[in-house]
Amino acid sequence: MSIVIETKDLTREYKTYQKPEGLKNSLQGIFKREYNSKIALNKTNLQIESGKIVGLVGANGAGKTTLLKMLSGLVAPSSGDALVLGYRPWERKYEFLRQISILLGQKNQLWWDISPVDSYALLARIYDLDIRATRKRVSDLAEMLQCSHVLTTQLRRLSLGERMKMEIIGALLHEPRILFLDEPTIGLDIVAQENIRNFLANYVKEKEPTIILTSHYMDDIATLADKLLLISKGNIVYQGSVDEFVTNSNAELAQDEKVDFEEVIRRFLETESRIR
Amino acid sequence: MKKSFAVFLKRNLAFAKLAIVSNLEYRLNYFVDAIVQPLMTTGIEILLWFAVFQGAHTATINGFGRDSYLSYALWGAFFARIATSWMYEFRMIEEISSGSINSLIVRPMSFYEYYLSQLLGYKFITTVISMIVPIIAAWMFNLPTVFSRIPLAILLCFYYLILVHTISFIVSSVAFHLTKISSFTVAKNLLMWILTGELFPLDLIPDPYKKFIIALPFSSGVFLPVGYITQRVGHAEMVQGFVSVTIGLVVLNLLGAWLWRKGLSAYVGTGA
Repeated sequence: MSIVIETKDLTREYKTYQKPEGLKNSLQGIFKREYNSKIALNKTNLQIESGKIVGLVGANGAGKTTLLKMLSGLVAPSSGDALVLGYRPWERKYEFLRQISILLGQKNQLWWDISPVDSYALLARIYDLDIRATRKRVSDLAEMLQCSHVLTTQLRRLSLGERMKMEIIGALLHEPRILFLDEPTIGLDIVAQENIRNFLANYVKEKEPTIILTSHYMDDIATLADKLLLISKGNIVYQGSVDEFVTNSNAELAQDEKVDFEEVIRRFLETESRIR
Repeated sequence: MKKSFAVFLKRNLAFAKLAIVSNLEYRLNYFVDAIVQPLMTTGIEILLWFAVFQGAHTATINGFGRDSYLSYALWGAFFARIATSWMYEFRMIEEISSGSINSLIVRPMSFYEYYLSQLLGYKFITTVISMIVPIIAAWMFNLPTVFSRIPLAILLCFYYLILVHTISFIVSSVAFHLTKISSFTVAKNLLMWILTGELFPLDLIPDPYKKFIIALPFSSGVFLPVGYITQRVGHAEMVQGFVSVTIGLVVLNLLGAWLWRKGLSAYVGTGA
């Protein structure tokens, strides 16, 4: 299998303004401000093969979203390099953007004031897709996600679960080779989570895209991911398969203790938050 | 090359359509924006010119009679409605400061074209609907108007609109660094209120400032097209308007492209 994502010492540093409490400090801030630097991602080296689903797991602020943002071209790195499908993502070449899709679970990608079908027609123009084929694809995807009945309702009037299904259809419309999913099941009930998980699993079998997935629901990762990336304070601390990770973790435990994936991750995140 | 241009054209027509579709979703808001607001401005300006002529006890000011000023006030309000972009500029700024721009910059299109086509689409439908009002009013009250000059006047105004959008693009690029910049828009629009000729005809400004201010591209928003319709300016001034907008477009687009590149390299993908 070919390597589709490769990073070399990829680093991102953020500067944030520090505002101490009180009016006096607000007034002083007009003339002089203090900034803190934080390394969100530190010299990350990765190689991801095509057709794999990679689960990116870490505590809040560990650097997962920063990595996704850089690989999808939203943010430029402070140093280091990355190639995604042979392109530097932050150069945002149209040939590159046509082959990727990013779904941010907490943000709308579709247009709020119009119906999903109008949004899809617009996306068809943006990605230069055949309109008839796009309509057929929307209809097929909507059927798989069981949401055909809301395609013509204004997006702002849909429930969170319905909206997320619409977003997923929008993200898959141009059949991206790489799909970045940032918490695609956030805020959804268990049934909706399972629906989306099953849909993604079937979609991957059929189309074989490369997926980078972040989620706080370990079921998402356990069900879908071929490869696990554990990230801690901007550093990748584990790269490998989910099974291997669980086996290694169990080997470190007392003989009579055996834990599943969710428990291993829970313990990892707990340790993380204590150290932080 | 031909294919990529066709794709570009189809994409931008779709953006223009998006603006029309999404604005017509909120019919009352659209009606107030396209008709009620310029009507109110017209009312205020007409009252002002009535008061000026009554107080001055004169039949002409700067060589033009009262009806000429009333006609300018009528057309000026509706042209000014076309030649401004408050709504889209606020949206562009908000898009950057809130991070919702994330969904745009990961798609094969540019932020500049996306908003320009929407602006032109919205202004097109606004022009078609709102211009009926001054046409009927000018005809009913017999106000000095050369109706055959309206198409060229609208063309200049739309050309100027690209410059207006470029200025909005520059202002919104600053939002990558400063986040809250709506005060920039308000300050800029106050200046434009005078420089376009919306507030009063620019030929009332004393020399030598008059020549300089009319030569700026901003006069192509209201003063030149409305002056052309109401016979305050002729063909030569209109040609000058097209030239000055072209120069403005070249200069401001270079500045905008530079600021945009700087902004994107500093962008932290807020909110994602």
